[in-house]
Amino acid sequence: MNKIAEVALNTFRESIREKILVVALLFGIILMGSSVLLSPLAVGAKQKIVMDVGLAAISIIGVLMAVFLGSTLLHKEVDKKAIYLVLSRPLSRSSFLAGKLAGIVIAIALVLVVMTVVMLGTIVLGKGIVRPAVLASVYLSFLETTVVCSIVMLFSTFTTPLLTSFFALCVFAAGSLSGDLKVFASKFGGEGMKLVTESLYYLLPNLKVFNLRHEAVHNLPFATGDILRATLYAAVYCAVALFFACSIFRRREFK
Amino acid sequence: MHVLNVDGIKKHFRSDMSLAKREVLRGVTFHAREGEVLGFLGPNGAGKTTTIKVILGLIKAHAGSVTIFDRPPGDPRAMARIGYLPEMPYFYPHLSLAEFLGFCGRMSGVGRTDLSGRIDKIVEMVDLTPHRAKRLKTFSKGMLQRAGLAQAILHDPDLLILDEPFSGLDPIGRKMVRDILVDLKKRGKTIFFSSHILSDMEALCDRVCIIRDGIIAKSVVLDDLLRMGEGTIEVTARGWQTEMLQGMQEYLESVRTTGGDAFLVVREQRFVRPVIERLFGGGAEVLAVVNRHRTLENLFLREVARPEARTSKEKKEEKLVFTGF
Repeated sequence: MNKIAEVALNTFRESIREKILVVALLFGIILMGSSVLLSPLAVGAKQKIVMDVGLAAISIIGVLMAVFLGSTLLHKEVDKKAIYLVLSRPLSRSSFLAGKLAGIVIAIALVLVVMTVVMLGTIVLGKGIVRPAVLASVYLSFLETTVVCSIVMLFSTFTTPLLTSFFALCVFAAGSLSGDLKVFASKFGGEGMKLVTESLYYLLPNLKVFNLRHEAVHNLPFATGDILRATLYAAVYCAVALFFACSIFRRREFK
Repeated sequence: MHVLNVDGIKKHFRSDMSLAKREVLRGVTFHAREGEVLGFLGPNGAGKTTTIKVILGLIKAHAGSVTIFDRPPGDPRAMARIGYLPEMPYFYPHLSLAEFLGFCGRMSGVGRTDLSGRIDKIVEMVDLTPHRAKRLKTFSKGMLQRAGLAQAILHDPDLLILDEPFSGLDPIGRKMVRDILVDLKKRGKTIFFSSHILSDMEALCDRVCIIRDGIIAKSVVLDDLLRMGEGTIEVTARGWQTEMLQGMQEYLESVRTTGGDAFLVVREQRFVRPVIERLFGGGAEVLAVVNRHRTLENLFLREVARPEARTSKEKKEEKLVFTGF
């Protein structure tokens, strides 16, 4: 466990020293800042715009960082052969991969925390109220980012960073629409199509369960049980993705 | 006791676009005894690094077996006792030297209380104390090589596996690494290292395995090598004529000419005098008479060097008048 934490800490250090992380953070903050400039256009809905843009920025930046860091960090380590130093020590490949994933997730969490503080500060300074749904929405965005990160890690164990990013973004897009897949399956197509779309529905992550933005912005009620279910869902999905990633990584040869 | 056993390992690779197999290791077998310094010598592409990767479990052999401290590659109990320096090491450039060594030490199971003192000692040993807080991305190639050796010995391993440890080092750095390895040898550590620098191998190794085309061509104990006969005597002459040399065939083992000079390898010591007399008698000039002791270089060249390894320029300049009478 200590060694997983060591790999995680090293990956975290590497991530936060990547310039792209600073760029992503600045981009997110500018995006949120722009919501303050836009708010006079919607009279009486200033806080809603700040929350809407802020929560969307947190989700997008989180996913983009997961794709970028997940696809490049492992590949760089293998490509530059730094991995030789780690794998020639008493550490299993699975522990290495788990540490790598944890390090990236912690680095992204740090960025999300900073962005959230900026967003909450903007809301409070604008004399708005920070409702629990806003915090719950940020938390779910973090879970969504973690799920995407585990999928990126899975792809990065066997393909190039470019293809990893492409596949991961495809899964993210399909996962965001996976609820519609089930509806599509029930309304259109024959048995074969139904089987395919239903299989995809269960295979792809249902990222809709991590979207509480609408409720947060419009002050709608939400069930705490949904948050717990989403947490469990994210944990199981990450564990399965990591299991397959480790199975592939254990067989991999470092020529 | 054998610390490292490599028995008949075979490995082939396939290129991405072709189904053709390229055999890299064709049954490599050797053993390293406890406390022994074993050199691993071979030309580029002979299979040295691939063998080391199989030993460390970074790649799997298609046949044969490897044990380290009687355990298979990758076993955490065996890996904890190994210190490894890769060829052309790339370390985490975002870390300072102290952070890097701290990471490596903790990964190898060194306790936090011991670690700081050990890092200070090792950094001083590899002469990088002023650079302790500097990021590795600012290091020169030689400094990275020394940092690599530091991480390999930090956790006081029983077996050191070093892939080209002298690569990229200046003469001072080479001497420093050689002194560290001598000290480790005195402390009873087993060292297995590959190198192209034969003088360093001669100075350090108890035994050398020569690998050629994926197979061990020769395994030799260096003390035995130095005891093998008196070597050969080579006479260098200028102003010679082919007929003059052909008239001395009975005394000579081989003759090689480059430019205007002829290098005559005399069959036995007692033939040196008649060879020199005939050269002077024929009006030739004797430039040098050298007694060449058998060295690792002789052995390596005999076992490994092939005519195609020489450059085309060398081939043009070099003409064999006659060999192997």
